Amino acid sequence: MPAETVASVAERFRLIRETRFGAFVPVLLALVAIWTYFGITEPAFISSRNFYFLFMQSAVVGTLAVGITIVLLLGDIDLSAAAGAGVCAALMAVLIVAGVPGPIACLAAIVLGIVLGSMQGLLVAYVGIPAFVVTLAGLLGFQGLMLKILGIQGAINMRDPFVRGLTTISLPPLAGWGLAAACIGLFALFLLRNQAQRKRRGLELDTVVTTWGQIAFFSLMVGAAVLTLNSYRGVPLMVVLLIGITALLGWVTTSTPFGRSIFAAGGNAESARRVGINVRHIRVAAFGLVGMMAAVAGIVGASRYASVSFNAFAGGPLLLEAIGAAVIGGTSLFGGRGSVWNAILGALVIGSLGNGLDLSGASAADKLMFSGAILLLAVAIDAVSRSGAVQAR
Amino acid sequence: MLEMMETKVGRDAPPPHLAVYGVRKSFGGVHALRGVDFEVARGEVMALVGDNGAGKSTLMKVLAGAHPADEGKFVMDDKEIEVASPHDAFSHGIQIVYQDLALCENLDVAANLSLGNEPVRPGWTFLPRFLRPIDELAMEEKALEAISRLQVRTLRSVRAKVGGLSGGQRQAIAIARAVGADSSVVLLDEPTAALGVAQTRQVLDVVKRLRETGHAVVYISHNLKDIFEVADRITVLRHGGNVATWRTEVTTPDEIVVAMTTGLNEGKQKDAG
Repeated sequence: MPAETVASVAERFRLIRETRFGAFVPVLLALVAIWTYFGITEPAFISSRNFYFLFMQSAVVGTLAVGITIVLLLGDIDLSAAAGAGVCAALMAVLIVAGVPGPIACLAAIVLGIVLGSMQGLLVAYVGIPAFVVTLAGLLGFQGLMLKILGIQGAINMRDPFVRGLTTISLPPLAGWGLAAACIGLFALFLLRNQAQRKRRGLELDTVVTTWGQIAFFSLMVGAAVLTLNSYRGVPLMVVLLIGITALLGWVTTSTPFGRSIFAAGGNAESARRVGINVRHIRVAAFGLVGMMAAVAGIVGASRYASVSFNAFAGGPLLLEAIGAAVIGGTSLFGGRGSVWNAILGALVIGSLGNGLDLSGASAADKLMFSGAILLLAVAIDAVSRSGAVQAR
Repeated sequence: MLEMMETKVGRDAPPPHLAVYGVRKSFGGVHALRGVDFEVARGEVMALVGDNGAGKSTLMKVLAGAHPADEGKFVMDDKEIEVASPHDAFSHGIQIVYQDLALCENLDVAANLSLGNEPVRPGWTFLPRFLRPIDELAMEEKALEAISRLQVRTLRSVRAKVGGLSGGQRQAIAIARAVGADSSVVLLDEPTAALGVAQTRQVLDVVKRLRETGHAVVYISHNLKDIFEVADRITVLRHGGNVATWRTEVTTPDEIVVAMTTGLNEGKQKDAG
């Protein structure tokens, strides 16, 4: 078979991308390139203080991008996520102003998010309206709903200590290191135990270099992040929460029959249907999950900006950055390929770019054009690696 | 026409595992099947041939439950059964491999083989089944077993993405998926249509393995060379009706081509139509 003997550069690149960490390679390279460039041109960029704020700034976009990734995996899109986040944040703010305790208001917002998302999912899956149209209608409708809830001022200040605490509290340095050590330990334990079980059952093994390479790579990333954050204020609670939620969703999407069905339906819906997967249920559930993540992003946004305002959520920048983050992270717009972890890295790319351009005094015009170029580049990589896969037949 | 069929199948035929009698199927005003009889035994490859529009694919879909028959009787191991939906067919152990294979190219071989029926780890009973962790190792073992049963030698790893496999390997994976699911009847729709020589060889080997493992294999193809290599018996359809069934060793490709294109006897065939 010629395609096997002639391993082109594109083919090798594709093979690298198919390993566990391989999908991170392009977006990590982009991140390193951006950091190196701004590190040289703007020394303030690589200060730990700047990285701290970079992580915090990327949190809202990252949360939303993680949610959007799930519908992208199905080959659908959600344009209403940012406006949905606004509606949920507005409901929470109104409830808190009315005297409802913070945690309960947050819970109500999350329930509302799930309901709004699932409703759109029902329209897509059962009525058969394209997701693009349903969520475009949602985008408009939710913006109106948000204005209605917020009232004439269009903004509510957020002083609730619980909600504010989500983005203002940082872990003490020692706790940060403890958490990092626990993560690395669990990761190593999981990999090594998996490897031992494979050996016992006579299954194909990863090479020792791959296994320990993964552990070293993971430790390096976690260690560097904690070191940087600790030298400013410590690991923000928000970062821990976001990584926790992402880990949970990452596990659900890659390691459960439900997640497998999402990938199957995104890769080949007909195939999924024939093996008895109810693609409609999967679609509704996926939109419900996006709604949930939108609500979480709304809460995070309210906490971070200390207010819920129409301008912060509606309009488009937040939504486009979130979709951009998911795609830059390497999640395919064609469905079936991607990961929620990549969405976080994509959000960091977008955040770094914005942050670096701000530091170098670039105008809003330059920022927009740069973001557009990066997004285009990411989609081009997606399209090229996809056609590479088709040619390999 | 019916008499002729009996004389052709008659004494040498093995006892059928799955048989259908008098199957009729219309789509609007088009009579796709006009009372077709068909049977297949265990450990046998039954080829189903006919010109375009003869009703092969429709019969296949009726057998798989994808198109319920308007009329007709299904008999499995001497017991009458009902096949009105793909689920019915599945529960009777009838599996179909469509021409388009329906594999998920973005998933690996093991995931494709277990798709829709992933083994989950024991415990975790507080979660609904679809949220329990998949037992990846059991899944790989299952895949390796299915692959080795069919002796797909060229496949290097069950962890390879299907998107990177050759056409023959994909066909083998699709067949392995059908066979893995406790099936006794495997319907193959043009399995070698898009394949080169080496790939075709690989698929034909897999089909022979299916016969050795006691499956009843129904094999639709246009390629008489493949059919004469792999089939034990050949059923010819024409204009939605039976022409006849031959044992492969007592017939020739020429005889089959004539049967496909003009029927056994032009005059009788026209009357029947």
